[in-house]
Amino acid sequence: MATSFKTINSKDVVSTRNMLHEAIPITGAIISGTYGTFPDENNIKNFSHGMFQTVYDYPYLSSSANHIFDLAVGYANASELSSSANTQNAKKINMYNELAQVLVGFDESSNIRRFDEDGDLTGGTKINEAYFINFTRLLMKDEIKKGSFTLSLGVNQNYAGAMDSTLSITDKSGSTGFKVNSPAGEYGILYATGSATSPSGGVDGLGYAPAGLLYYQAGIAVITASVFGTILGTPVETTLNLVPMNGTLTGSSISGACDVFRHRINNIQFNNTTELNSTVYFCRANHNDFNYSSNPTYLSASKMVVKNNSTDSPVSYTTTVGLYSADNELLAVAKLSEPLKKDPSTEFTLRVRLDY
Amino acid sequence: MGFLDNSGDIILDAVLTDTGRLRLAKGDGSFKIDKFALGDDEIDYGLYDKNHASGSAYYDLTILQTPVLEAFTNNMSSMKQRLLTVNNNDLLYLPVIKLFTQSGLGSELNANGSFVVPVDKTTVETGFGDFLGGGILNGYRPGNDPARIELQQGLDTNEKPKEEPLEDQLVESQYIVQIDNRLGSIFPAADNAGAGATADGAQLAAASYAYLDDDGIANYYFVAGDAGRGYVGNLRSEEASSILGPRGTKISFRIGASLELRNSQFLFDQMGALGSATITNSATSGNDLVPGTNSYKFIDSTVRISGVSTGFSVDIPLRFVKLGS
Repeated sequence: MATSFKTINSKDVVSTRNMLHEAIPITGAIISGTYGTFPDENNIKNFSHGMFQTVYDYPYLSSSANHIFDLAVGYANASELSSSANTQNAKKINMYNELAQVLVGFDESSNIRRFDEDGDLTGGTKINEAYFINFTRLLMKDEIKKGSFTLSLGVNQNYAGAMDSTLSITDKSGSTGFKVNSPAGEYGILYATGSATSPSGGVDGLGYAPAGLLYYQAGIAVITASVFGTILGTPVETTLNLVPMNGTLTGSSISGACDVFRHRINNIQFNNTTELNSTVYFCRANHNDFNYSSNPTYLSASKMVVKNNSTDSPVSYTTTVGLYSADNELLAVAKLSEPLKKDPSTEFTLRVRLDY
Repeated sequence: MGFLDNSGDIILDAVLTDTGRLRLAKGDGSFKIDKFALGDDEIDYGLYDKNHASGSAYYDLTILQTPVLEAFTNNMSSMKQRLLTVNNNDLLYLPVIKLFTQSGLGSELNANGSFVVPVDKTTVETGFGDFLGGGILNGYRPGNDPARIELQQGLDTNEKPKEEPLEDQLVESQYIVQIDNRLGSIFPAADNAGAGATADGAQLAAASYAYLDDDGIANYYFVAGDAGRGYVGNLRSEEASSILGPRGTKISFRIGASLELRNSQFLFDQMGALGSATITNSATSGNDLVPGTNSYKFIDSTVRISGVSTGFSVDIPLRFVKLGS
């Protein structure tokens, strides 16, 4: 019986899993300055609820704009900065608690755990005041690649020349020293290094000071507020009125604090990860398979145009592979880049990959 | 020492068709790849120059330079022609599927070049005067009139006698018929008028489609020897036929209009047009659809008939018509 289909056996199917990585550079100029006058840029969206600030890569009223990350600040109820006199005090606590309960979880008494500087939840130094950078799924895809994250902050004391002195914050131990005790997946410790770091700020012998946490699958960086304070030799000023940077955590709204933090982002760089699951179908055309065609141009008055005599070898040219269900419904199509000759003297295996 | 040729193993990235995505989204296990086929939609074998003066290396030079299109995701637009596996390399002829068009025997096209399907009682009785001639399928009562669509399979060549049996493996035993389910459905046919109705005049039921794809295309399977309705039968050498040489099988059916076409102008307004040409009815003179006298709307579509084993397919043009402006 002539046939135009060939069954794919279980031995002809294999599933594979690959990780694809893309480099994501976010320059500070996009975050602050390119699309308007700081702090009122057209690519920065603030909301009436005032809980966070959204950063786009282009003026957000344009359909070309992509949402790249959100910024927020918050502190724990136990923070020394917490005071009912603060601007948006409750919202800052709520923001901290929301992210803490998602990223750190609850203790045995169902209390929200606070962010921990070294990831050891049994004790140690807690991060009570933090800046949050929530990267969108568009950028971080399935996860941020471990060991690839770098955040460069301008920490010069003077506001106007903020980038004259920078602090580099990286997950330097991420690829081998990540933590798994978070309900939101794996995370790494962020470390700050730079000439502005202070020996008295917990800097180790190699010049690194703990500066926050990076949640790889959640795509959230938690930056301790001390990156502008205790780990520096000279704490950072905020604006022209020369108040300390962390003064914005108490005296400014969340969006105001995000503005001054954003102004000091020099650069962000990381690699994202896409988990690609593929099924490869080995479509084997043996020597006696697919040598004829049902193409109407193959025949002239039912006679094959590729043969002069019946003893000539039949020949056909493949351009397409169709994958079918048992009831002959076309489910997937793969194309060759050029026609592939098939005759009884040739065999080939087409590896057709379907990605999910 | 040269390098080994590794060109026999080729990696291709596949895209899901719209139907594939639909089945995947259903999550009911209906997305299961079970078989594959190879296609050659872009190839024009007329470019194969088997008498090239420079020798056999030049026969397919032009074919191998054929640009290949990216994949279509519409499941109806890809793999229209498939490559065939036949366990005989010495064949010189392959069967075709051909419309049986002999005048007066019921399956010829209307003079306008398509099968006309009046969709409701008014169009049949008022427009065409109740008696429908060649190429006009009664979409309202499919069994009432002799017209039908009949396709025949075999070697369409006079280089072989029609009495010679067609090689067994080339006889098509199963057909797929695809039609837009919004417009019509498949009904049984027989050689004579009225054979599509029971003794009391009731119409035989429409065939059941195997599945409906995401675009509303119904896929019917008809197998030789299927019970009752005789959609598929052997094509005997003594029968009138469009096939000149050895014969295989034939498939015949009628088309009934959908309920929506019968009772609504909506689809005619959406995808149809107002008729501007006369549709002639060869059965009785003076019963043509004449624009101005009998304003009508029409929708042009096709019904595709494919052989499952031989892969050959034919698109038959249909024109659904409805009186009204």
